[in-house]
Order: sequence, then C-alpha cells, then structure tokens
Amino acid sequence: MRWATVILALSTVAACSLPRDPEGTTERIAKEHVLRVGVTNNPPWAEARGDTPAGIEPDLVRHFASSIGAKVVWRTGSETTLAQGLKHHELDLAVGGFDAQTPWVSITGVTQSFIETPDKKKHVMLTAPGENGFLLRVDRFLIEQRHDPKGIAP
Amino acid sequence: VRGLPERPDAERHVRAGQRLAWISIVYLASTVVLLFMVMGGSQALKTELVEDALSFIPPVLFLVSDRISRKKPNREYPFGFERAVSVGYVGSAAALLAVGIIMLFDGALKLALLEHPSIGGFAIGGKTVWMGWLAIPVLLWCAVPAHFLGRAKARAAKPLHDKNLAANAEMDKANWQSAGAAMLGMVGVSFGLWWADSLAGVLISLEIIRSAWMEVRMSLGDVMDRRPMTVDEQEDDPISDRIDELFRKEPWVRDVVVRVRERGREMTADAHVVPVDNHVSVSDLSSTGERACKLDPRLAEVTIAPVSEIPEDVARARRSEQA
Repeated sequence: MRWATVILALSTVAACSLPRDPEGTTERIAKEHVLRVGVTNNPPWAEARGDTPAGIEPDLVRHFASSIGAKVVWRTGSETTLAQGLKHHELDLAVGGFDAQTPWVSITGVTQSFIETPDKKKHVMLTAPGENGFLLRVDRFLIEQRHDPKGIAP
Repeated sequence: VRGLPERPDAERHVRAGQRLAWISIVYLASTVVLLFMVMGGSQALKTELVEDALSFIPPVLFLVSDRISRKKPNREYPFGFERAVSVGYVGSAAALLAVGIIMLFDGALKLALLEHPSIGGFAIGGKTVWMGWLAIPVLLWCAVPAHFLGRAKARAAKPLHDKNLAANAEMDKANWQSAGAAMLGMVGVSFGLWWADSLAGVLISLEIIRSAWMEVRMSLGDVMDRRPMTVDEQEDDPISDRIDELFRKEPWVRDVVVRVRERGREMTADAHVVPVDNHVSVSDLSSTGERACKLDPRLAEVTIAPVSEIPEDVARARRSEQA
C-alpha cells in the first residue's frame, strides 16, 4: 500500500518536470533559445559541406528546434570532435548518420531511433551525456517522426 | 537413496526444491529481459542485471546436482558423487565474487570520472515514457517475488540439510536491498543527481561481493572437510558431540575421537576407538556403529577404526583442543 502511494506520487511528479538535466540543458535552451548542434558530413543523412547543413537529419533537427522555440547554432567537425564536444557540454546534440551501435554510447547520450533502414541500421542522434530531460524530449520528438505520414527516407 | 537425508519426507522436500529451482529460472529470465529493456545507460541497473544473470547458476546447480549426487559409488569414485556438487558451488561462488569485484571497480570508476548516466525515453503503448520510471516497477518485480521465493527455499533447505539451497535462499531474500538501492539511484537521477546511479551500482556490487564471499567460504569449507555447521544459524552442528557421547557410553570403549565430514547433503563419520583391555568384539563394533548411524538422518556412514592409541593428528580433532 505504501509502495503504491510512492509510485503514484512519483508518476505525478514525473508528469511535470522530471527527469531533470544535471547540467541544465533544458533550462538553458528555454532561456537562450539556442540549440547547439554538431554535424559531421555523412550524406544522405547529413550534408555538412555547404554553408548550412542539409539532409535528413539537419531537417529533423531544425524541425525539433522550432518545436521547442529555439534556433540552431551549427558546428561541423569529425565524429570524435563532436563526441568530445557533447562530453564537455559544449554541444547539446550531434548528427551525422549515427546508428544505435555507435561506440560513442560510452561517453554521450544516444537517442531512440527515428528510422530503421533496410540494412537493419537504427538511425539515432547523440546528445550530451546525462541530460536526461533533454534526451527524453528529443526521444519523444524522434519517436513521433517514426509515425510521420511524410516519412523519412534515405 | 544416496544424497538424501533418511527421513520419510525427504523426497517431498526435494521435489519442492526442484519446483522452486524451475520457478527461479523462469522468474530470473523475466527479470533479466525486463532489466535489459529498461536499463539504458544506468550503472545500477546494469549491476542488478549482472547479479540476476549470475543468479541462474545456483538453481541450475541444484537441479543438476540432485541427479549427480544420487549416482551410486563405483570403482573409480568409491565415495560416490556428492562432492561434485560442492565443486560446482566453489566455481559459481568464485565467479560471483569476481563479477562483484569487477562491477565494484566499474561503478567506482564511473563515479571517479564523473560520468553522467544517460537514460532516455521508451516507446510504450503509443507514449514515450522515461525509462527511469519504467525501471521502478521492473525493480519491484525483481525484489518482491524473489523475497517469497527465498523464504520458500529456506523452508525446503532445512529438512534437506542443503547448505547451498539455504545460501541461495538468503541471496533471494536479500535481493530487495539491491533493487531498493537501484530504485533510489533512479529517483536520484530523475532529480538531476547523476552520481546517485553509480553510487547505487557500487552498493549493489558490494552486496554481490558480500553474498559471494559467504558462498565462497561455505563451499570451500565443504571441500576442505570443515566441521559440520547447522544450515540456518551457521553454528557448529552438535552431531559430532552426539556421536562422541554415544561411543563414550559403550562399556567396551575407553577413548574415542569422532570426526564428521559433510559431503553435499550427507554426513559421514569416522571414529578412532581405543577399546578397554585392548580387545574388541565384532558384534560390539557393528551394533555401536549401527546405533551411531541412526542418531541422525543425515548420517550416511560411520566407520570405526579400533586402535591401541589415538594417532596424534587424529587426537587434534578433539573438542578440548578446538576451544
């Protein structure tokens, strides 16, 4: 009975602002309206050679950013630079054709996949580690995209 | 039947033990799968998962050992096969200890490196829920049935004099502590306390090490022919003294040293006896031996060695020298 109360209390709290981000990503975005995104060139997922990144994933990122009322500040770099940037909380999100088997899982957060390609690769994005409130928001967005009628195709 | 205490209800308790072992296996399969689904980047859940995965070994050994220990002795294995079980438990306890230590270092390292666990969303029934919340009912499922399973195992272990089953029961009963630690870790993480998760992982690994250490000591004691201990309280078993007393009341016995060893669920005793007037009759020997054997259902064999003087090393096993 007591457990039931605790769980009920927890799920009520959960509905509001939990989980929180230890480094305050969600709050910072809400205040500054800036989403810091790293991108590495990996067409067709991300085309990072032009002035503004293009491709499936940059489009998704812009869509996500507008859904949370933020504008995207892009930074291009190699996978390693991006992963280090996430690790040190200089970036919030990174894209570039990462899949669920990415080795960066040991130092960054990995989102849910937004598409599974015919070669059985589940495509994901990377987030700053441990920013679980932010990660959950990205996950919610990406899972919605799976059911988007327009669809995402490579 | 070999490998079983001689009491009318022994078979019934063995069947209860086997049923519990099967239930454990199915139940652990469910906890391992559920934990794997919700674990995300959580160190605490990973540790809990590893603990549960290793918990498969004792019930499997129980089922296997019951078959092996009933095998009859033969020319190659003149003392039967009960010891095979003890050897299996030494191995499983050592594995558990090693894994506990690895997980302890793993968790401590994550704390030291200030690693923040990433735990994201999980799509369930058209909604995306934070995996940390899903972990809480999963952890309850890891804790509550295990507790009742442990209590049922403890009830079966005592009449069977099965130390390994008793130790497994203790582990099951204590599982709520690690599940509780993981829950607190998860709640801590939800409030942005990233260290709560690794800390819970460290606590769980300490719990693994504690129970593994207990099992290593117990199973090594078994292989080393330690003086028998009671299954539940882990005190010296009175059986050695009772056999000793029985011999001392015999008119033909002047001095005796009784040594009892455990082999799985059974015990065997050997008694070095110095007979009065250096004379012994075969009928005295066998009647005393038979009565000694009936003292306790766990006693499978009593071997009597008549000697004119107690050998020095055997005499060291006397009660007075143990104190």
